Amino acid sequence: MDSSTSDARVGTGVTARWHTLPVLRRRQILAGAGLAVALAFPFITGVNAGHVDAGANAFTYVLLALGLNIVVGFAGLLDLGYAAFFAIGAYTYGAAASSQVKLPWSEVWTPLLWLGQVSRVQVEGGRDLVQLQFSFWGMLVAGALVCAAFGVLFGAPTLRLRGDYLAIVTLGFGEIVPVVARNWDWLTNGAQGLGGIRTPKLLGFDFGFSPYPYYFLALGLAAAAIFMSFRLQESRVGRAWMSIREDELAAGAMGVNHVHYKLLAFAMGAAIGGLGGVFFVAKLTTATPEMFQFPVSVMILVMVVLGGMGSVRGVVLAALILSFLQSVILQELTLWVNALGRTIGSAWLAEVQLITSLELIFGLILVLMMLFRREGLFPAMRRVTALSRDEQAALPSRGTTVQLSWAEGAPPAAASRPLLEIEGLTKRFGGVAAADGIDLRVARGELLSVIGPNGSGKTTLFNLITGLVARDAGIIRLDGEAISGLPPHEIVARGVGRTFQTIRLFSSLSVLENLLVGEHARLRAGALGAIFRPPRVRAEEREAVERALEVLGLFGNRLLPRLDHPASGLSYANRRRTEIARALMTRPRLLLLDEPTAGMNPAETLELMDLVKALRGLGITIILIEHKLDVVMDVSDRVVVLDHGVKIAEGKPVQVRNDEKVIEAYLGRRRRAA
Amino acid sequence: MSSRNGTPLLRFTDVHTYYGALHVLKGVSYEINEGEIVSLLGGNASGKSTTLKTVLGLVRPTEGTVTYRGEPIHALRTSEIVRRGIAPVPEGRRVFPKMTVLENLEMGRYTRRHEPGWDEELDRVFGLFPVLRERRHQLAGTMSGGEQQMLAIGRALMTRPALLCMDEPSMGLSPGYVEQVFDIIKTINEQGTTIFVVEQNVNMALSIAHRGYVLQMGEVVLTGTAQELLENPLIQKAYLGTA
Amino acid sequence: MTFTDVLIQQIVNGLALGMMYSLLALGFTMVYGIIELINFAHFSVFMSGTFVGLFVLHLLGFTGDSTGLWGLALPATLLLVFAVTMTATGLLGVLIERICLRPVRGISGTAPMITTIGVAFIIINVVLMIWGPQTKPFPKIIPDRRWTIGQAEVSLVQILLGVAGLVLMLALNYLVKRTALGKAMRATAQDMDAAKMMGVDVDRVIVLTFFLGSALAGAGSLFFGLYYGFTAFYIGYQTGLRAFTSAVLGGIGNIPGAVAGGLIIGLVQSLGGQLLEVKWTDVIIFSILIIVMVFRPTGLFGLQTPQKA
Repeated sequence: MDSSTSDARVGTGVTARWHTLPVLRRRQILAGAGLAVALAFPFITGVNAGHVDAGANAFTYVLLALGLNIVVGFAGLLDLGYAAFFAIGAYTYGAAASSQVKLPWSEVWTPLLWLGQVSRVQVEGGRDLVQLQFSFWGMLVAGALVCAAFGVLFGAPTLRLRGDYLAIVTLGFGEIVPVVARNWDWLTNGAQGLGGIRTPKLLGFDFGFSPYPYYFLALGLAAAAIFMSFRLQESRVGRAWMSIREDELAAGAMGVNHVHYKLLAFAMGAAIGGLGGVFFVAKLTTATPEMFQFPVSVMILVMVVLGGMGSVRGVVLAALILSFLQSVILQELTLWVNALGRTIGSAWLAEVQLITSLELIFGLILVLMMLFRREGLFPAMRRVTALSRDEQAALPSRGTTVQLSWAEGAPPAAASRPLLEIEGLTKRFGGVAAADGIDLRVARGELLSVIGPNGSGKTTLFNLITGLVARDAGIIRLDGEAISGLPPHEIVARGVGRTFQTIRLFSSLSVLENLLVGEHARLRAGALGAIFRPPRVRAEEREAVERALEVLGLFGNRLLPRLDHPASGLSYANRRRTEIARALMTRPRLLLLDEPTAGMNPAETLELMDLVKALRGLGITIILIEHKLDVVMDVSDRVVVLDHGVKIAEGKPVQVRNDEKVIEAYLGRRRRAA
Repeated sequence: MSSRNGTPLLRFTDVHTYYGALHVLKGVSYEINEGEIVSLLGGNASGKSTTLKTVLGLVRPTEGTVTYRGEPIHALRTSEIVRRGIAPVPEGRRVFPKMTVLENLEMGRYTRRHEPGWDEELDRVFGLFPVLRERRHQLAGTMSGGEQQMLAIGRALMTRPALLCMDEPSMGLSPGYVEQVFDIIKTINEQGTTIFVVEQNVNMALSIAHRGYVLQMGEVVLTGTAQELLENPLIQKAYLGTA
Repeated sequence: MTFTDVLIQQIVNGLALGMMYSLLALGFTMVYGIIELINFAHFSVFMSGTFVGLFVLHLLGFTGDSTGLWGLALPATLLLVFAVTMTATGLLGVLIERICLRPVRGISGTAPMITTIGVAFIIINVVLMIWGPQTKPFPKIIPDRRWTIGQAEVSLVQILLGVAGLVLMLALNYLVKRTALGKAMRATAQDMDAAKMMGVDVDRVIVLTFFLGSALAGAGSLFFGLYYGFTAFYIGYQTGLRAFTSAVLGGIGNIPGAVAGGLIIGLVQSLGGQLLEVKWTDVIIFSILIIVMVFRPTGLFGLQTPQKA
């Protein structure tokens, strides 16, 4: 870290020094301090068992809020029924560790008997029964897995739904679970709830009813969840989630399989909810349906909204604040207000119980946050880059050679199989044919331009090639392999990258993050890799960043200094460049550029077109949609003209430009009448 | 055809408009005189649709003014602009799909619904578009593109507007319908309505317009009478690159 | 009673219940049709309507022990209570729109819906603070007369409320189909920008839609009170979810669909309660909700497809 330049700019002093530290270091210091305080808390004078118990509950809420944060904050899926997973975890443990469930004994249970997970109960005059007494620790894992499965089950129907519809379906599931709990007496003992749930035992020590061991266990779980959340946030998985949240369509075009990642988010969020459920019920030793109704789901949602959706530290802080509000602050405040009431003679003030206003406060928080501060109280800090200012400045501004380490290089001159073959491609929207029997062959290493008046079907062609839109008829082959009918992320994996006419960057992600999403299909790290970061994953991330820098370097000094800037803050031309860079990160053999120079002035256009030519020189096949026809003429090997979904001309630029049909398509047919 | 009494009906003065960071209109100026058909031409991304939306109050200029009969209208709401006698035929028709032809025409007359004249205007529209009379109880969403275009124009005529603003009337229409539509536009103008047509189809538009402006990348690059523009080789360049 | 008689009885009950769900669903679907917002607060407005009605009746001197009214006093009182309650809930709806929803209108994503959840919670808790958590008896001002059809019974309450519901729906239908304002509402719902271009004051139309929808919720709330004979702060949620299912079933944004959906859900509730156990009807209704949303989001009759965002 180059401190000399930073010092010169920001001066000395503790606050100034704080901000010169990289985000990672700051986070580690804060986490360490927080952990120290939390560990010491129960031993501070004046802190009694009640406070410690409140602390344990607070950490449970932190856990739950972090779980919901994965679903709502990272992946952008509004889950209004999150308490369902809390419930499922709770009842899973409850049923497995109380005397509620009565099953007839059989030999099948013997291994578990040996492991101490069940016991055999003699029944007078009848068959022996099995009593379940599964270990808490085993059930933590089991509960999480069961909930993960339900997360997938509840999430699956929502995959195609829009934001608020998705929320309503989750709400529906969130309602069904307590109803089932209330009525499935055999398992849950109905409305009376489960009682006599076994407390955890560790190496002979029984947690019993003292809050202290639960406090530390909850702290451990919460700390693990915080750690996991941070790790996920800055990983391939986290980026995939955030890209889905920002723009699911563009995410697919970058190779992100939205089905996989949405289900993963649901599963992980649910699993954490399940952990919370198992823990909470072990501490309480009872479980009743009332504990898991809609207001609980809302409360956790309020924590996430208040803290900032997607912001780990925000959610933690908000969960702690609201939890203490509920358990301690309102009580203390009530005493004070009552005393005040007695003093000034107001009967209402003297009697009021502020705790009943808790839900009112929740409602106010939701409304005020949405109206005035949608990003939350503590929005996510800008994330870490691996680059110091020196490194950023050190790369050359505009090299004469364009290099990409993974590009294959110019193809052999001899004719080989076309890279892209399209036959009879047809697509109708309503009654109108956007593509009407298009035949097209694109040779390896070629730069083909597609032109045509407005509404001629150019972007539809791109959408058909990339799988965003399903064709009605025809076939598309990439290097001999049929890709028509494949989902977008698989087409990307086969080497097709694209940009969009309207620019679809992930607005709140930084330039670097946008690019790293582009590389999604080429990386491998999954959730476990993200959390534990073995050397292989670390290396993969490092190399990904290096490749990103390499691609950004193609644009000289335009984008590199803005690595960490959110994409929404860039100038229009830079946003176009970032989108192209992102498309290059998919390491395409075929690059589809949709009006890349729209909105650029002539100088910028020229610069970009030089780059495009250079990319072609590296062996990347390029199809370009453009309206600036002099650009097209200058840069293309061949030109194809579309009109009303039909290919009306094809050939070298000079040929096409003078073609009568083309001129007519653009300028319109001359009127017959005078 | 120059203006009779001096003040243009509509005047667009030095308008700059941004979409976010994108500078879409870069100091565009033009004027339309009463009784004329004026065409605004240009290819994609030329800014011509934005110009029309600015007139209608759907987009606000960052700088510059739009005046109608001398009164600035660029800060008014769309409903207020429409009430002053400017009627739109939007891009893509935008008829109300689940309402009948008659109901669409009623909506066209919304700003004058309390005034007499419904029967006359309806007759006039049905006279221009007999197919609408036939299908007056049909749901607009079930009609063909060409029929919807007729409806969109008819709807705009229901208030007997002084200025008719049309956004790419030929888009998405088969060539037969395109000719028909432009013939009708000419007729409407002959009946006394001033017309402002934004179009991509140069030849069609200039065949009925009196004057035209050509936009390229947000700037007016050519202007003149229709005849002058048709004979100007630079038109081809503006659309097709170097001639 | 034979099985058929029981069935007919439940059908009668179901239809009466369904009327209430229809009224509630109508308001909800109208708002969605215009601004594509799922308005959770709608159901709290519904709940607050019962308390307004309660308040008015208490002012008029009726209590939980009151017996039925006769003659002119009955329709006059009913008219008064309905008018006041519907106006009050209508205004509440308008207030919510102006203060909480207009600032977030047009924001994509779920922020507007989250706002309505917050508003719902606020309303519920304000009512709770003012009136307390106990259920409150609703004055039974409609006398308990019954008529028999075969072995099934229809009560005066059911008839009066059925008629009232029908009248309201016909009035709404007339408004929407035949008046200029109604056409402006439909036009705005179908294409807001085009409606603006026709000179429609879209803001005013939205306010009006909220007023009408909330007024209908107010009517539905009186149905609840008069039919069940009680009210409490929590009735909005359950009844609301059922009404919501009705709206979705009929096709969200589709006005006749909301009526049909409400009647169907009413029948499901009462028949389901009869054939299975009452405790499972909730699961059935929520399952219907989920199934419709996943497999047929346009509902049974709806034409408005909720686009993937």
